[in-house]
Amino acid sequence: MEFRHPFLTNPRLAIYYGLFWLAASIIMVLIFTLANGVELYIALVEVFSFVIIYALIGSSIWYVIKFATLENNTIYRIVFAHLIAASIIVFTWMYLGVVMVKIFVPEVSEFMRKGAINRIFGGYMMYLIFVVFFYAVNYYQRFKEKLKNEGKLLSLVKEAELHALKSQINPHFLFNSLNSISSLTMSDPERAQEMVIDLSQLMRYSLKHDQKEKVLFKQELENNKLYLHIEKVRFGSKLNPVFEIDEKCLELEIPNMILQPLYENAIKYGVYEATEPIEIKTVAKCNQNVLQITISNPYDANVQAKKGEGIGLRNIRDRLQVIFGNPYLIKTEDNKKEFTVTLSIPQKQN
Amino acid sequence: MSEKLRTIIVEDEELARNLMKSFLTGSEKIEIIAECENGFEGVKQINELKPDLVFLDIQMPKITGFELLELLDHKPQIIFATAYDQYAIKAFEYHAADYLLKPYSKERLLEAVDKVAERVAVEGSTSDVADKIVEHPKEEALERVVVKDRHKIHIIPVDNIRYIESMDDYVMIYTTEGRHMKQKTMRYFEGALDSKEYVRIHRSYIVKVSEINEIQQYEKESYIVILHDKTKLKVSKTGYKNLKKVLSF
Repeated sequence: MEFRHPFLTNPRLAIYYGLFWLAASIIMVLIFTLANGVELYIALVEVFSFVIIYALIGSSIWYVIKFATLENNTIYRIVFAHLIAASIIVFTWMYLGVVMVKIFVPEVSEFMRKGAINRIFGGYMMYLIFVVFFYAVNYYQRFKEKLKNEGKLLSLVKEAELHALKSQINPHFLFNSLNSISSLTMSDPERAQEMVIDLSQLMRYSLKHDQKEKVLFKQELENNKLYLHIEKVRFGSKLNPVFEIDEKCLELEIPNMILQPLYENAIKYGVYEATEPIEIKTVAKCNQNVLQITISNPYDANVQAKKGEGIGLRNIRDRLQVIFGNPYLIKTEDNKKEFTVTLSIPQKQN
Repeated sequence: MSEKLRTIIVEDEELARNLMKSFLTGSEKIEIIAECENGFEGVKQINELKPDLVFLDIQMPKITGFELLELLDHKPQIIFATAYDQYAIKAFEYHAADYLLKPYSKERLLEAVDKVAERVAVEGSTSDVADKIVEHPKEEALERVVVKDRHKIHIIPVDNIRYIESMDDYVMIYTTEGRHMKQKTMRYFEGALDSKEYVRIHRSYIVKVSEINEIQQYEKESYIVILHDKTKLKVSKTGYKNLKKVLSF
């Protein structure tokens, strides 16, 4: 919470405050001299002793409203606090005012005595205006601060979410691949070497693009072909990837590492449970507004009792929500024989 | 040890099988009598050939390594070989002799074999996994149940289970398609099934809530439930309390 006086944190407000009271004083002097026929000197003394002193003392009311905040206190406590503060301020103000007037114009003490009740009443009314003014300033300040914090928080949350949702390469994929390599080093060292290189390239891609949100579809596709190539070493003829890619889509943008979990699912539910070859089909179409990618795989509905959406799909949905603000960019279709996922990636218009 | 351990490898990946075989060649303790590419084949071969030792993968097509164990008549020594470390505790609950994490070294594999050879020398050729694995509540929610009728293996999605009746050491699982016997306890199913969908209504019965059509008073303080297909099942006092809690009446 900000306790510092707004006049200190915001000097412009202090200048406006000063100008306001200067203007008020001048108007009052004019009224006293022109309308009420008071001598200029007396009017000046009067206005400066009371108005200017009130303006100075009044600025301290800020601390009272900070002490008696509307949010944390009962109404009785607030009223009580302000009554005490108002009394202290009004009587300090009266005392200083009377002393000042007496110093400069000793002969008007009679006139002063008559107006005392009105002055005290006026003092309390002024206090009320100050309180309203400072509560308004306080409210405005906190509102601005809240907006600023919210903006900061929002961008922090978005960053954290993206980081968490970013699909990581499944460690089991890594261990199984390493086991395949271990096997190949004996039976087929050349293929083992090839697989080590593929795996390194895939890891490098996933590490390098960890920070960047979007890449060219071309890159993402190449990376996933690499992934499928590695898995093909494990699964052999069981895994059969098919691509139908419209050439003109290759230069479009796509969030990185967003396709990999889809292929991972297709392998997990399609290839892994199968004993015969499984075709994983990727179709990409596009116009200038949207890049549409469809990945489908057949599966055996009898083997698994799949309940709801897996974490992979949910992560992609959440990630699309964070990046594009739209969770409906991923659609799934399940006809109990084939599972199809369709991504619609919006493109920035140039 | 004079005789070799008769061994079956159950592993769906060819490369992983090849690796294991080449690590085992030359070991005077092992004789590989069969290789299986999936769990179904594994069940068949193990029950037929009655090996001393089985190397078992966990994630496999059709049925998992754990499900395979539940279907065995003959219980050999088991060494798991998998890339997943999160099943290690479960594996030892199933009295596995060892748990190999892929990729493993030749030394590590032969160490596991030595361990089994010692065990077999002490306990005899087959382990007593048979009786021990039955009692074991799973920590994760049950999604399917595998059963074997004669020579056919059925995979029952949990949703298809209507009710379960206890029969001594076995349970009879009544599904939407028929009924299957399985060597498990009621307590196992009570723990493994979703307690919001399945209620233990009696010492002998667990029933799916959505199958219940009616609850009738039978005698004073004794009730029966009538299912949609008119099957009547007894409800015990505790069972009635359980029903009340789940259906909140």
